[in-house]
Amino acid sequence: MIAITKIGTYLPEKKISNLDLLDKFDTDEGFVRDKIGVVSRTRKQPAEKASDLCVKAFEDLMSKSELNIDDIECCLVVTQNPDFNIPHTSAIVHGALNLPENCACFDISLGCSGYVYSLSIVTAFMQANGMSQGLLFTADPYSEIIDENDKNTALIFGDGATVTLLESAKEGLVALGFEFGSKGAGYKNLINDGKLSMNGRAVFNFTAATIPVSVNQLLEKLNLTKEQIDRWYLHQGSKYIVDTITMRLGLDKDKVVFDMYEYGNTVSSSIPLLLSKDLENINAGEKIALSGFGVGLSWASAILEMN
Amino acid sequence: MSNVTAEQILATIESAKLVKDVNVLDQDKPLRDQGIDSLDFSAVLFNIEEAFGIEIPDSDIDSLQTINQIVLYVNAKV
Repeated sequence: MIAITKIGTYLPEKKISNLDLLDKFDTDEGFVRDKIGVVSRTRKQPAEKASDLCVKAFEDLMSKSELNIDDIECCLVVTQNPDFNIPHTSAIVHGALNLPENCACFDISLGCSGYVYSLSIVTAFMQANGMSQGLLFTADPYSEIIDENDKNTALIFGDGATVTLLESAKEGLVALGFEFGSKGAGYKNLINDGKLSMNGRAVFNFTAATIPVSVNQLLEKLNLTKEQIDRWYLHQGSKYIVDTITMRLGLDKDKVVFDMYEYGNTVSSSIPLLLSKDLENINAGEKIALSGFGVGLSWASAILEMN
Repeated sequence: MSNVTAEQILATIESAKLVKDVNVLDQDKPLRDQGIDSLDFSAVLFNIEEAFGIEIPDSDIDSLQTINQIVLYVNAKV
């Protein structure tokens, strides 16, 4: 059984305060704090690349575990802002961490749905190939593509990275099931065409209409009810979208995790960043729900249980 | 469906919990001047689209600032 056992994270120390930009964007602190849900955004150094952020997340993982690098059998990186178009960023991470030569490496090109999609991919890949230890990185430094004068995107995104250790283990978070989807006809609503542009209304409509349905379909498939889910980890697109999904699903607000005030929307890293803080406190038998959504337009939801 | 009323539009806004008390809204005054910010306004339009089975293109939004403008628009679309 492949389980999530540890998560390492990295958030750059440098931050940009949205409170300093209220006049520039003709907005107020209430909107920034209570609607966007981002007070400050983390920023990597200009020279840092996605692979550098991955390495720093791995250093955090090493401080939390007794991992032997020679035992790592696969290494995936979820990013759409890779170091280069060629080669894949996971190869660069492989070299930087001095992972063994028989370690499989590949990238996954997905945005905010990427972590949930990739949990399914890496779990299946490891099971199919009899692997015992794998690393799933997320690192999508949007600071490289943000137009700092675009109100639709400039106040939202932060840089960060995570690495999830997946092991063949008796204890850890194990996936019970997934649900995936795409609305490719809407791809232009969130696109990097030189700089990132977003049709906020279209992305909101997509999310509000699609994610509650996706989650309910998954619960039904697994013969579970919302009440049996102990904690909800929704992609931290904005506070407004998390609140909207919470309301439309009729969730207990106390069970919905929200924490992006101090770093922003970190794309595929948002869910593992939340999980890393809670992982030690999820009790055996408890079930959690994940849902990632965005670029594509794409989404993936999952239910996991702590063994 | 025909004769969508202002009360139905207000009920849709109320059900989405976008305003504490929809009865205080002036039906001839732009919603954005009555405490409904850009995100709430997107949600208002989304809930109206969903409730009345219509699609509101971005190009029509500028003409949908007040409750009464929305009522006329929805009645023309349904």
